[in-house]
Amino acid sequence: MAVQDTADDLELHRRLAAGDRGAFDELYRRYAAQAYGLAYRVTGQQMLAQDVVHDAFMALWRAPEAFDARRGSFRTFFLSMVHHRGVDQVRREQRLRARTEKAANLDPVEDEDPADAVAEAGYLSVRRKEVREALTELPAAQRQVLEMAYFDGKTQVQISEELQIPLGTVKTRTLAAMRKLRSLLEEAP
Amino acid sequence: MIDHDAADELLAGYVLGSLTGPDAEEADRLLTEHVPDCLTCRSTLDAFRGVTGELGLVVDPVNPPETLLPRLQRDLNGGGHRSRLRAWSPARIVAGAAAAVVLLGAGGLALTQGGGSGPSGPLTQADLAQVQTMAANPDTQVHDLGGGAREIEPPDREELYVWGTAVPSPRPGFTYRLWAIKGVVATFIGDFVPLDGMVALKVSVDPNTVDRLEVTEEPIGSTPSQPGQPAWTSTG
Repeated sequence: MAVQDTADDLELHRRLAAGDRGAFDELYRRYAAQAYGLAYRVTGQQMLAQDVVHDAFMALWRAPEAFDARRGSFRTFFLSMVHHRGVDQVRREQRLRARTEKAANLDPVEDEDPADAVAEAGYLSVRRKEVREALTELPAAQRQVLEMAYFDGKTQVQISEELQIPLGTVKTRTLAAMRKLRSLLEEAP
Repeated sequence: MIDHDAADELLAGYVLGSLTGPDAEEADRLLTEHVPDCLTCRSTLDAFRGVTGELGLVVDPVNPPETLLPRLQRDLNGGGHRSRLRAWSPARIVAGAAAAVVLLGAGGLALTQGGGSGPSGPLTQADLAQVQTMAANPDTQVHDLGGGAREIEPPDREELYVWGTAVPSPRPGFTYRLWAIKGVVATFIGDFVPLDGMVALKVSVDPNTVDRLEVTEEPIGSTPSQPGQPAWTSTG
């Protein structure tokens, strides 16, 4: 199932690169909700999250060649891009003003209709479970710095100050967490 | 001999977007000078970037506003890059958004239209090595464009490069726009956005016909008539 879906992503990307708008719409259908959930979690603001997802899809359309299947799956490429843009926006906002609307947890956006269930492929649900389990296997200290960097968009310096631990420790824990996750996710079937 | 544990620390922080100050500068050097030629680091960077993509699945998906897809479709209709590229003249952007290029040395962007100059090949790892070599040449002029990007003007070549590995994204709804400035005349070259902070643009133009390059930040899909305010303030 997952292999087939990955192949489908590649085919959709190939068509997208050839200018097929239908392929764009299908990739949007597949990944917009995941991308929006991630962007909202990182930025904490619905408008910013919408802009992040919008710009990520536009970048995909404008530069489809940036994805190279030899370097990983389309899904990880795209979500990595969304995350990077989300963090960029957090930095920008931090410079401009304090965030006023912060997503404190992983709950759905308040004005989203809970009945408006997100339709997604089964393989995404399976992979989500695997990634969440991998995250729980990290030592608490490593997981903490990783989540502060990834989900809150904090810099290593900010994490160091907030946790009152040396910057070197933040770096060490971050690397250990990334290595461990890499290993766990590669092992996952 | 590079310390790969130290390199991995930088790469982990880099993919998370959590580096600042000297660490960000060190990562910039690493990505520019070492990673393109180091299979180990390229593999690590790809793997760490994959982790950041997978971590995105931890968050529950949320349906975006219903207005988002129509907005995208409107912007695709109004500012689709493929038609825009044909109008680029006299210079052309041969390659952009070098993340893929830096890491693999091939398969980078190969924009094959524009300026009547004919198709061009992808920016290869050899090209990137060449840019780095040129940048180190004392006869090469390197100008800071701000925003972490540099204009590299090698001697005796009809081309300029815009290069950066930690370039911030434009504001939401905006794109960077590259201009060639000669006197009071500004010539539109093309729009671009960094990917993962990386930009590598090769502009085929005689530097003698251009006073300087300028990057502005403009609304996506807007008509490139005249440059607005520069996107960044040069520190050079």
